[in-house]
Amino acid sequence: MQAVKLTLAGLVRYQGREGQISFILHRLTGLGTLLFLAIHILDTSTVYFFPSLYDHAIALYRTTPFMIGEIFLVFSVIYHGLNGVKIAIFDLVNPGMWNIETQRKASTWALVGAIILWLPAAFIMTRNLLVHNFGLGL
Amino acid sequence: MAANVTSQAVKKESVRVAQGLEITAWKWMRYSGLLLIPLAWIHVALQDVIVGVHAIDITYVEMRWRLIGWRIFDFLLLAFAFAHGMNGLRQVLFDFVSGENARRRLSWTLLILWLVISLIGAVAIIGGVAIPEN
Repeated sequence: MQAVKLTLAGLVRYQGREGQISFILHRLTGLGTLLFLAIHILDTSTVYFFPSLYDHAIALYRTTPFMIGEIFLVFSVIYHGLNGVKIAIFDLVNPGMWNIETQRKASTWALVGAIILWLPAAFIMTRNLLVHNFGLGL
Repeated sequence: MAANVTSQAVKKESVRVAQGLEITAWKWMRYSGLLLIPLAWIHVALQDVIVGVHAIDITYVEMRWRLIGWRIFDFLLLAFAFAHGMNGLRQVLFDFVSGENARRRLSWTLLILWLVISLIGAVAIIGGVAIPEN
């Protein structure tokens, strides 16, 4: 608990700008995706272990809260991937790129790129949500 | 981490790093992460965006898994994504757990959890869709 408190206080006080934001977003999107992934492995496994349960699990994913969550999940996967590519390239190709200027630029571009890639997906998924759950006509 | 990172450049120095499991895990996170770009992105674009959850049911899964290629794809995704994620969780938790023993216990707990859930998923992919009873 002490460590958690210290971390939260540190997050507020430390002014790491772009780099810190990307650190926080990378962790949040990663943990969020992992939580979903663990549940998703288990629900998909019902097709073999308890096939009659699978459609019940899918029915849950079709509810509005889950579909909204799915839209954020897609953002998480895109952002975590792009920012992860930044980390992998910096670390594996040239650690000198971790200098503040390059790091800030790359962090900003990872976020901007993720939003650009996410918007069309979010549009299609929001449309699906409205069509299926709110009777929007095609 | 370099303590004094200026806007010029990170000072180039070769540092000798002790080889071991943690270094392997560190490298592995980067390589598996790069591999997950095509694996996870294709999966998400296809299932969440293009096909959509309203078109997915057990018949869809059965049809999809008739192609061995998709089973191999899903198997790779399961193997790389979940291991990447669980090791990532371990890294995050290490920031909140100190002490050699506590960290070792945590690592073993996560390893077992990873193994159990991965095995369940692997058995399902290999076993395929069982005929619905309803």
